[in-house]
Amino acid sequence: MSRDYFNTQSLGVPLNRMVKEARILMVGAGGIGCELLKNLVLAGFGEVHIVDLDTIDLSNLNRQFLFRHEHIKKSKALVAKDAAHKFNPRVKLEAHHANIKDPQFNVDWFKGFTIVFNALDNLDARRHVNKMCIAADIPLIESGTTGFNGQVQVIKKGVAACYDCTPKETPKTFPVCTIRSTPSQPIHCIVWGKSYLLSEIFGASEDDSPEMDHSEDSENAQEIEKLRQEAQALKNIREAMGTDSFPQLLFDKVYKDDVVRLRSMEEMWKTRRRPEPLDYATVIEKASDAEARKDKILKDGQRVWSLEENVVVFRDSLSRLSRRMAEMKSSGEVSAEPVITFDKDDEDTLDFVTAGANLRSIVFGIETKSRFDIKQMAGNIIPAIATTNAIVAGLCVLQSYKVLRGQFGSTKEVFLSPFASERLLASDRLRAPNPDCPVCSPAQTRVLIDMSRATLGDLVDDFLKMELGYGEEIVVNHGDNLLYDLDETENLAKKLSELGIKGDSFLTIIDDNDDDPKGPRVNLILNVQES
Amino acid sequence: MTEIITDPTLPILHGPSDKEKKYDRQLRLWAASGQKALEDAHILLLNSGSGTVGVETLKNLVLPGIGQFTIADANIVNESDLGVNFFLDEDSLGNSRAECCVKLLQELNPDVKGHWLPLQETHTVQNLLENDRKYTLIMYTYPIEPQDLALVQEYGNKHKVPIIAIHSAGFYSYFRTHLPGNFPIVDTHPDSTATTDLRLLTPWEELSKFANEFTSDIDNLSAHEHGHIPYLVILLHYLEKWKAEHGTLPSTYKEKTAFRATVSAGARTNNPEGGEENFDEAAAAVLKTISAPTLASSVKAVFDYKPNEFEAKSSFWIIASAVKKFYEKNKQLPLPGSVPDMKAQSTVYVRLQNIYKKKARQDVAEVLAAVRALPGGKDIDEGEVETFCKNAAFIKLIHGSEASPDNITTIAEAEAANDETAAMVGMPLSLFPIYLSLKATSHVPTACTSDILAAIDKTIPGASSNPRLAQVAEEVTRAKGGELHNISALTGGMVAQEVIKIITKQYIPIDNTCIFDGITSRTQVLRI
Ligand SMILES: [Zn+2]
Repeated sequence: MSRDYFNTQSLGVPLNRMVKEARILMVGAGGIGCELLKNLVLAGFGEVHIVDLDTIDLSNLNRQFLFRHEHIKKSKALVAKDAAHKFNPRVKLEAHHANIKDPQFNVDWFKGFTIVFNALDNLDARRHVNKMCIAADIPLIESGTTGFNGQVQVIKKGVAACYDCTPKETPKTFPVCTIRSTPSQPIHCIVWGKSYLLSEIFGASEDDSPEMDHSEDSENAQEIEKLRQEAQALKNIREAMGTDSFPQLLFDKVYKDDVVRLRSMEEMWKTRRRPEPLDYATVIEKASDAEARKDKILKDGQRVWSLEENVVVFRDSLSRLSRRMAEMKSSGEVSAEPVITFDKDDEDTLDFVTAGANLRSIVFGIETKSRFDIKQMAGNIIPAIATTNAIVAGLCVLQSYKVLRGQFGSTKEVFLSPFASERLLASDRLRAPNPDCPVCSPAQTRVLIDMSRATLGDLVDDFLKMELGYGEEIVVNHGDNLLYDLDETENLAKKLSELGIKGDSFLTIIDDNDDDPKGPRVNLILNVQES
Repeated sequence: MTEIITDPTLPILHGPSDKEKKYDRQLRLWAASGQKALEDAHILLLNSGSGTVGVETLKNLVLPGIGQFTIADANIVNESDLGVNFFLDEDSLGNSRAECCVKLLQELNPDVKGHWLPLQETHTVQNLLENDRKYTLIMYTYPIEPQDLALVQEYGNKHKVPIIAIHSAGFYSYFRTHLPGNFPIVDTHPDSTATTDLRLLTPWEELSKFANEFTSDIDNLSAHEHGHIPYLVILLHYLEKWKAEHGTLPSTYKEKTAFRATVSAGARTNNPEGGEENFDEAAAAVLKTISAPTLASSVKAVFDYKPNEFEAKSSFWIIASAVKKFYEKNKQLPLPGSVPDMKAQSTVYVRLQNIYKKKARQDVAEVLAAVRALPGGKDIDEGEVETFCKNAAFIKLIHGSEASPDNITTIAEAEAANDETAAMVGMPLSLFPIYLSLKATSHVPTACTSDILAAIDKTIPGASSNPRLAQVAEEVTRAKGGELHNISALTGGMVAQEVIKIITKQYIPIDNTCIFDGITSRTQVLRI
């Protein structure tokens, strides 16, 4: 009996041929990706391209079974390809250790595939692939898992709802003043430890942090200015890094001096408990016992540490990070100032953020947390296991058979409902596209332009008005940027390249002409290509 | 065993071990106690047929770090195995399938120990089950020889070992778990919104005193103080007032909505926001938190159950009996002790948390004392008592199942009746025909449609007249006993999930048969 005897038997000859002739793109080679690649290869799909930017980490090995201990720090895409190739040498596999948002992966490239599978773990990349598949008019099978839960959705322009047809929850942010002056929950102190303390001492500035919400800054201008000075003073303390006095300088700055200043702001504490400053010399005097148990404390991440234990971990992790910083500087490999950024799987940064956040919680009378819990809160960790990935990847392939046959009507949106007693899978019929969706409802077209010569005026007059027949009242946007409308004409003389438009940029054209008896045209998404 | 190679560029490890890091993403689901249970377990797979679904299940157990596994399989690897089984490669051809699969599975996780046995005349299932090794759980795949099946069932009954049967063919599969006797679960991981138990209708003295501190002079509080009274204190205050006016606490839906209106009316509106967030929280919590504690039927089932002599010695039943005593005396279960997030000053919130925690500790102490007084209660771990008390409202007992022909007929009739209405309203049809058709090929690698239908008719007379059953049987025939890798991989994910629930004794396992239809991507769970 031949290798694909059972596939031919159950799939039937026509479907089995379509499977063999299909060109598949799989974006993401993580938990779902490993499972999916295995299933695709054994189902006999003809050609599979794998794109993943990530490298392999120890915490992947409990589910990403194409990887082994010796692969840690290597490219997921490349290792996955090699591992899968062994099991079906007849499948053509190609791996790209790259970001799916790179310009090489343009709309034309997407058009070369029969089906795209999303096996991603973040919103941004999911939205990007969704947009590209809508522009290229290629079916997309989107999937995701969280712990025991998971879902699979088939997306097809004009036929099935896209990823953005329902608004997605955006990550939580916190006002600057809550983080810097008036924390009231553990998470506030954790964000402070990660996005302020760690990044001011070892990294770039807090302003880059996506967790900080600056929308209320203007209402608190005075306090914001004070906080800016405070951050500057903290930066200056960096100079002492590596000296014996560094831990004390830093500790007394953030847990004593800054707290004393905050305490003095009567207005702030009328309605809140006043923070209590900590003094390094006093605390460390009582910490000799904890110091002796340091190694044991560091191994015990499930238990909530005491004040003294936190101080010991603070000092120890600070010296580990300082040493790393010094090594990075002396190695001279990086010309710019080296940085250490928070990584939940980097013990040194995690210890520092845990102790730093807990000490601040103690100052503000907030509940302290174990390192295990802080890791989850600071790292936005999503539980992940092999079983859920296996189920979801299997469902993805089942949906792809329907897509290959063009039976979109019988594709389903499937949810794993592990805690329902009657069934483990719940399915919904295919959802129609949302007519108000900003991604898939507008008309789509593309234009070839020489971006170094053509101006925005050329595009508006020659293409939009002459060729497509638009009237005067139109608006042209590039992402959130307004490029042109009746009152905004400055850009017309500029070359498209000067306006930041490159190959595969997307422009949105909005028709404002309400006088037309047929009403204004629907929005148009214009995909610009270099000629 | 593969050699563990440590990357020399890795930083020296501080804090958690390599193992904790590797398992970090799953420890967040079943904690260290669940992981320990997995690592202590030894799973036996009796493999047969085209042999993929069992191996895919094992993959999902080796990755999270099951302690040991054994594969027993009579087959030699051939070319068609390679097209369906990921844990075989060209080098495997002509060798024992059990040996080759164990070798590649074990590479997935060096912490796991794998054993294999080629089933031959000299190594039979009987030998395998008679040796000294104790298995935590046994899985077998169809088709299986009837005498081997009998041996496995006998072993399961004798040693109280859970058994899972798995059958995957073409686009169909099913699996059926058989739990030995009655199976109690303490940590069912209920939905976090369901677990809030604030005891607002029966506050204890310390809680009432605490609430009075804030509300004895409620009308004269400053705007800030008034806007920061924790919502449960607000509710306690208005409940007391309600009781003074009506003589009883609000109990009917109508009373509760009226009560909610009084709470809302208590908010001050002469402020820029035109209301108070804490009062909104209080009003929103009325229907959920103002209800007399009722004993869930699943807990009542545990209290009513009379454990046999063997069961009565287990810590679960000793603690259950102590908790039952506690309940009979106090008319409520031990307090879980957690407090949901709410608008409050952080110091006040911490005090409130401590009041609940203290009461929970007192309740645990009372139960613990009762446990110690019971025969066999001396050596029971205090942590286990604590976990039991915390989860007391959600404990569950799953009854073991015995297959009987009567039961099959009853299900068939009920499913057929459901289908008649389902067909009219366009609802999906029963998957029971898939179970019946696969079941009919339990002991043969392939069968023709008429044989399948004849076998089903023997158990359920006249069943084959159902055209849908004929259609499903046709599909089973077409598969010729072959597995589709994708269907088996998916089924392996579902089975491994159940194995993890059973071994960790966390979450509620399905009861007891799950049927999967790969054509429509649907499952159905039936107690068969
Ligand atoms: Zn859309």
